[in-house]
Amino acid sequence: MKRIFVNSYSLPFFLLSIFLFAILILEGMVSDWGRLSGSLGNLTEFIQESLWPPDWSVVEPQAYPVCTVYPTFMDFTCSTAWIGLIETIKIAFVSTVFGMILSLPFSLLAARNLNSSWVSYSSRFLLAAFRSLPSLIWAIFFVILIGFGPLAGVLAMTVYTVGYLGKLQYESIEGMAKTPLDAAEAMGLSKLETAFEVVIPESANDLISQAIFMFEYNFRHGTVIGIVGAGGIGYYINLYLKFLQYDKVIAYLIIIFIVVLIIDFISIKARSYFTEEVEHNSPSWISVFLPSFISK
Amino acid sequence: MTDIPWNIEPIVRLNDVSIGYKEHEPLVQIPNLEIFPGEIVAIAGPSGVGKSTLLKTIAGLMKPLSGSVEVCGKVSPNRTNRGELGYVPQSLGLVRHASVLHNVMLGANAGHNKTVSISLPVPIPQRIHFFRLPSTLAKNKAIEAIKSMGLEEKINEPIRKLSGGQQRRVATARTLAQSPSLILADEFLSELDQDTIDMVLGEVTQYVKSNNAALLVVEHDISRAKIMADRLLVIDDGRVNPFITEPTAMEVKI
Repeated sequence: MKRIFVNSYSLPFFLLSIFLFAILILEGMVSDWGRLSGSLGNLTEFIQESLWPPDWSVVEPQAYPVCTVYPTFMDFTCSTAWIGLIETIKIAFVSTVFGMILSLPFSLLAARNLNSSWVSYSSRFLLAAFRSLPSLIWAIFFVILIGFGPLAGVLAMTVYTVGYLGKLQYESIEGMAKTPLDAAEAMGLSKLETAFEVVIPESANDLISQAIFMFEYNFRHGTVIGIVGAGGIGYYINLYLKFLQYDKVIAYLIIIFIVVLIIDFISIKARSYFTEEVEHNSPSWISVFLPSFISK
Repeated sequence: MTDIPWNIEPIVRLNDVSIGYKEHEPLVQIPNLEIFPGEIVAIAGPSGVGKSTLLKTIAGLMKPLSGSVEVCGKVSPNRTNRGELGYVPQSLGLVRHASVLHNVMLGANAGHNKTVSISLPVPIPQRIHFFRLPSTLAKNKAIEAIKSMGLEEKINEPIRKLSGGQQRRVATARTLAQSPSLILADEFLSELDQDTIDMVLGEVTQYVKSNNAALLVVEHDISRAKIMADRLLVIDDGRVNPFITEPTAMEVKI
């Protein structure tokens, strides 16, 4: 590879000039810097007047329908927070499973080490098309098609999952060693046999850990798609945002934050079983917050 | 080989073949090479001379730059000789996350369906092989091959937990379970201790001799190549890459 930075001064100089270029662009976009001065006052006012303290009535049972859960200490399961959260988790789970099933054939076709280039590029084109729109836009699309509700959310997340997971999958399939494929081809195994008995077992760890990551990703994004009416906890957030009841919104956000942390931790823990060096890679709570190279 | 009738068909036949990666600079040029059933042929020569490339070309993984490569009467490319060719690459080509049995079953299935497609009166298209019935015959063959390599205790271990020598034995078992007509092996005795070399070489030699198969092996160690091979081909990194056939101990014995 050609060395671009000839001496030790040119790299810092290069980075500095990129930073200055970014400043220049920002300067061009902002017309009035004076507006920044009021922001701190606005923040304290916003927090004191409407954001804090959080309104924990969101975890109390709804007035209607009447809560019939017994024993009574379980009545938080009738609350909007619980109902929305469970629905978001359900949407994330279902769309990850369906997305995984659908993306696997696409990614097997898209891998350049398994297929001729026109097959792989047409499959890649399709995956890129699914991925190009964020799941929120897909959610709007499916709400228009089939109306409000979790089904629109499931379809939107599934389409996005196929695009995103498919890319991760074909990249890890392309990263596998070439010699098992050579040996299978010389033996005369068919394409399907090679896919199911060589490629999938060889990259199974990657595929599983990507699916777990995708569930985590889908949960985080599933909180947003409710805003357009595609089910989940986002529906309630949107509702109280419109009523300007920010103290309820912050309660939902705190709940989501805690659940995301829990799911992240479970995801890291679960994925560590599918990497080769389980003994050397025991995840801890701190690794949820910090990237692995710091928390080790 | 004296016991081969004069009109027997060779398993491998190379005619005016030049191999390599670039059109204008072929690595090796081979005017004529025939390998007969029951023969063990070793290719020796310095590294980087194109020994492995020759093996890949015969395996059908690469196209020859010119000339024709014929294996079991079928000319490459577009040949479909399922199960007739066993290939052990230098890095073995095992499915690292799957068990020993899974890997050996790959070979057993390829070889098993070969015999089925021959014995049936109707030719079966190749894609139908995926929907085969689970075959105890193939499984027995795989287990037999694993036992012959002394790996019956590791049968359900994933490959990545085995040592280098054990992995090499798994790759050999995979090829034996396939019962191919031609075995192509790239440095398949490296990183083995002497006892294991004797065992692997003994099993493979016995298979080749009793089934009239052929073995083409790349071996950088010329003294070892002379011991195991009936014929030794030396690719020399000379001016025009001459292709020399040397008489060896086995031929002298005949």
